[in-house]
Amino acid sequence: MSDLIGFIPLAPLLGFLFIGFLNKSLTKGWVSFFACGAVFVAFILSSVLFFNLLNAPEGQAAFTYTAFDWITTGNFSVSFSFLVDPLSATMMMIITGVGFLIHVYSVGYMYHDDGFRRFFMYLNLFIFFMLLLVMGSNYLLMFVGWEGVGLCSYLLIGFWFKNQDYNDAAKKAFIMNRIGDLGLILGVILIFVTFGSINYADVFSKAGEFPVGSEIITWITILLFVGAIGKSAQIPLYTWLPDAMAGPTPVSALIHAATMVTAGVYMIARNNVLYTLSPFTLEIVTVIGLATALFAATIAIAQNDIKKVLAYSTVSQLGLMFVALGLGAFTTGIFHMATHAFFKALLFLGAGSVIHGMSDEQDIRKMGGLRKYLPITFITFLVGTLAIAGIPPFAGFFSKDEILANAFAHSKVVYAVGAIASLLTSFYMFRLFFLTFSGENRASEEVKHHIHESPKSMTIPLMVLAVLSLIGGFMGVPEVLGGSHALNNFLSPVFAQSAQIAGEHHHLDHSTELILMGLIVGLTLVMIFIAYSIYVRRKSVPTSNEASLGAAHRLVYNKYYVDEAYNTVVVKPLYFLSKVFDSVVEKLLIDNIVNGTGKAITWGSKTLRLVQTGNTGFYILAMVISIIVLLVSRSFL
Amino acid sequence: MTLYAFYFISFLAVLSALMVVFSRNPIHSVLYLVITFFCVACHYLLLNAQFLAAVHVIVYAGAIMVLFLYVIMLLNLNKDDESQKSNLWKAGAVITSGLLLVVFVGALRGAEAESVSFASSNNTGLVKNLGRLLFNEFLLPFEIVSILLLAAMVGAVMLGKTHMKRAKEIAHEKNGRGSVASARGIGNIKELTK
Amino acid sequence: MNAVYILSGLGIFSLLAEIFSFRKILFPIVLLGLLATAGLLVMDWNTGTSHFSNMLTFDNYAIAFSAGIAVIAFLWFLMSRDYFENNTHVTDHFALVLFSLVGAVFMVSYSNLAMLFLGIEILSISLYIMAGSKMTDLFSNEASFKYFLMGSFATGFLLFGIALVYGVTGSFDLGKINQVITAGSTEFSALLYAGVLLMMVGLAFKISAVPFHFWAPDVYEGSPTVVTAFMSTIVKIAAFAGFFRLFATCFASVSGEWVNVVQVIAVLTLVVSNITAVYQNSVKRMLAFSSIAHAGYLLITLVALNEISASAILYYVLAYAAASLAAFAVLHNVAFENENASAESFNGLSKRNPFHAFAMTVALLSLAGIPPLAGFFAKYYIFTVAFESGYVGIVLLAVVTSLIGIYYYFRIIIAMYLKAPETTTPVAVTTMHNVMLVICLLSTIILGLFPDMIIKLI
Repeated sequence: MSDLIGFIPLAPLLGFLFIGFLNKSLTKGWVSFFACGAVFVAFILSSVLFFNLLNAPEGQAAFTYTAFDWITTGNFSVSFSFLVDPLSATMMMIITGVGFLIHVYSVGYMYHDDGFRRFFMYLNLFIFFMLLLVMGSNYLLMFVGWEGVGLCSYLLIGFWFKNQDYNDAAKKAFIMNRIGDLGLILGVILIFVTFGSINYADVFSKAGEFPVGSEIITWITILLFVGAIGKSAQIPLYTWLPDAMAGPTPVSALIHAATMVTAGVYMIARNNVLYTLSPFTLEIVTVIGLATALFAATIAIAQNDIKKVLAYSTVSQLGLMFVALGLGAFTTGIFHMATHAFFKALLFLGAGSVIHGMSDEQDIRKMGGLRKYLPITFITFLVGTLAIAGIPPFAGFFSKDEILANAFAHSKVVYAVGAIASLLTSFYMFRLFFLTFSGENRASEEVKHHIHESPKSMTIPLMVLAVLSLIGGFMGVPEVLGGSHALNNFLSPVFAQSAQIAGEHHHLDHSTELILMGLIVGLTLVMIFIAYSIYVRRKSVPTSNEASLGAAHRLVYNKYYVDEAYNTVVVKPLYFLSKVFDSVVEKLLIDNIVNGTGKAITWGSKTLRLVQTGNTGFYILAMVISIIVLLVSRSFL
Repeated sequence: MTLYAFYFISFLAVLSALMVVFSRNPIHSVLYLVITFFCVACHYLLLNAQFLAAVHVIVYAGAIMVLFLYVIMLLNLNKDDESQKSNLWKAGAVITSGLLLVVFVGALRGAEAESVSFASSNNTGLVKNLGRLLFNEFLLPFEIVSILLLAAMVGAVMLGKTHMKRAKEIAHEKNGRGSVASARGIGNIKELTK
Repeated sequence: MNAVYILSGLGIFSLLAEIFSFRKILFPIVLLGLLATAGLLVMDWNTGTSHFSNMLTFDNYAIAFSAGIAVIAFLWFLMSRDYFENNTHVTDHFALVLFSLVGAVFMVSYSNLAMLFLGIEILSISLYIMAGSKMTDLFSNEASFKYFLMGSFATGFLLFGIALVYGVTGSFDLGKINQVITAGSTEFSALLYAGVLLMMVGLAFKISAVPFHFWAPDVYEGSPTVVTAFMSTIVKIAAFAGFFRLFATCFASVSGEWVNVVQVIAVLTLVVSNITAVYQNSVKRMLAFSSIAHAGYLLITLVALNEISASAILYYVLAYAAASLAAFAVLHNVAFENENASAESFNGLSKRNPFHAFAMTVALLSLAGIPPLAGFFAKYYIFTVAFESGYVGIVLLAVVTSLIGIYYYFRIIIAMYLKAPETTTPVAVTTMHNVMLVICLLSTIILGLFPDMIIKLI
């Protein structure tokens, strides 16, 4: 069984190499066949492993597979080995499953693009790195995957590199991620220094010896969380994600919604033992997650670009996942990540289908009435919207409710803020939905003429994802609704150690839980109704004249001026500082030192060069003198 | 008796070796070298290495020295052609080699203390014993020397052949890289013949 | 041992090929033969047999290095094919190269000083001639003659050293010498010291360590580029492997006596070569100094001898050879009109031949030790070895000198990418060269990504 593991990341890697090497000699059909096939193979193998784990006997909760020893020096050794336990198996199912659907979708979406082959190369490479990230059994391998997906993300955001704005967006994403990665690297180094190993198994078993609240663990977890903040777009490093929408829509769906951005969530869940040992960090995680969830949700209300709305919604949902993690409800975080992967991928692909049908129009003010033009997209998008809004029995309901229930048990304030964020979600999502699909079409005649439903290769993934968004929640039906929470049982071995450390969670009694559920669903319906009355009954369309907006609205519309603030607070002072450094430190001090060293070396070089006279007699003389010196030196050395 | 012979032969060897260096006429140098070789052969005899002594005389004093003489004659070297090194060079060389001598003597003085005994008899250096050693223990080096000799021979032949003909042939093949490379070759030949 | 038979057989076959006009098929046969050599060597892995009353011992160390040499020779033949084709004595050249490979195999697998000496001589004699194989070129003649003169001088010292060691221990056999030294020595005698030191001098000359390096820049520069490539890869590897084998096995027990000398040589080599390389304008000469510098890094492992030294050396020489061959191959193509190409002739190479520019960049980056290429891990392992043995000072010095190294390597990279080309004519290349470059680049990258492949070997 374990031997299969190696093939899972290998398949997309081979796909990448194959397409890369045979670039021009493959037709588009073959490219799509190999690219999708590679991911499909990975998916099948992952499923085999997944179901094996599901039926595995008690205590046999993970497969490991060591491909080879990678680097060994002194007491530092890393092997290229994979760990498939319930957590990584769940991730692998999402990555390969959703990844495969998005690959298929991309065949239709990207068919007329010049960079068709390049696109699939990158996608396969991304899947490879993402699998490396979740399957690695040590921090180094995770880090390789982490950087690899960052690279792919960079390449794919700037996929249409002829547009300078897109390049800038790609650079922004890359740089912001570097800030986070710095934290991650420092965290991993600190882990190595503390535990003397960077293998998960060693680290976690040794972590048991540390007391709860240990200072060094707190530092480690905070540093790791900085990495997660960058990758998963949390405050204050979230601004890259909305800009990342410059990439092709399938990329937004795959990388910037379903998989890569959830790497931070995965990483924290993977390190649950360490995090449980540091309640302080967990508090920070909760606060940042909560703030991000609310903040991004308010921004999303006023956005008019269909992908930007979804991007902010992603940021907000990621915030909710971090809230769950911060509350120590790791399973819940993973659960929401899984359901989010389904419905957010669906929404993005649906948006892609809309954009495709509308001749690359992304502004929802120019859409409307698409219901009759794009029936399949309409239905699937509706399913996605209902799921994200948290209407039972759609997937989002179960996972979001679980987060809120956990929050309520923890603190009423967390619950209130989380609930507001999730209500805002349902409002802006339905605002988006109504503006896009209902009412009259506001596009120009020319565009209107061309509106068409997308090809099969795009609608079938939509339908599959819609089904998943519909039933995905049933893997975690809570006890109060008569379920047994299969996901919880499945993942419990991974979190067993931290459950032991944390002690018993106080659970809500069933009646409170039911009341909360009813309350939130009721309020959500109210929000939907408000959205309906504004955008369908009154047919109001957001104005494009910024001046006519109210102050608050303008603030939100401009995303709280965060980008501008970063520009003023960080970038401009940095420029100023760099100018100062340039003129004073650099020119006066460093330059002289560097040039001095350079001159000294050049002088030495010029002088030593002269020793090389070319005269054989001299050479031999020099050799003999050296021999004499060496022979005599024994008495001195 | 042996001791006196040793000192005499050694004295002769060192003297003739010095004369090799100091004599102005190359022919004389070579002749002194022959004497040095003979002295070394005598040393071999004193050490019971009769076969080696014989081979030494035949190969070095016989074949190689004659070759030297031929070369010197062909090059037509005489006193005036000797390149004169400056006195500084000479002083440097003398001091350095003197130092080397001192250092070696210093290093080797304690050699008597070494305890390894070399069992030797009158028969040690006879052809029979030597042959037994060469064809048993040292079979591989003995055979492999043939590769060394072959390589040297091939090299000598290769360097000895004339090349002008081929170089001109290449010059006529005006295609691809050959032409450029050969053009360069021709250029060099012209420089050489200037 | 099969390796020796095949290589010698191939050498003799290529001499016969001249008579029977097999010239056309000679090249493929030699390539196959080299691969077969490597294959047969690898099949003996872990057997550790000794041959001919313990003259040669093919232990894992010997097998790894001999197989490495065979593979590098394979790549070298791919690179230098056009050189052979433009030459009068194809078959003679082939024979010489193959004979010198026999010598190289002896130098890494000897367990008797007689074989070490024979190996060095076979290798050197062939090389003296190869250095002068461009008979119409005065520089080539000069290189050959200089190499010959100084090489024989160094050989004299080596032989003297061997004689002294024999005088003290009464044996040529490495094992026996080691026994005598370990068992009997109450005191390390002056005679033995002189012997060890003189052998060290002879071998240091072969790996061109300062202050016995004077021949190297002149000879490397004067020889035809392909021969220079041969000298700076195969010869250097064989010589260093031989050096290491002698001192790490035979004289390891008395390492305290000679380690300081090696340390001085290593430090001198690192400093002098790297600094001198800065001011070289001829790329070939720069590469010569760089090759001397790499000998300095290798010597560090001998200073800080421990159990992974051998693996670190193997990794280093393979990484170095792959990068070096690629660099020389590019130089050979760029500069075939002007053998002593200056850095200026690389101006704008990225426009004249992007692949070559890329290959050269990767090769130079690897030589400079930039991660994740093989050259980085090679240096990293050597530094680790030194660090663990407590030689922090020399590691610091080596780091500083590698920084200087980056300067002169980058000069060429900058010239290739940032300067305008002097001519716009694309650099013509053969498929063979491209294949060879691809192999070199791939191994540079793969070795860098998976260093444990090699490090765990010996």
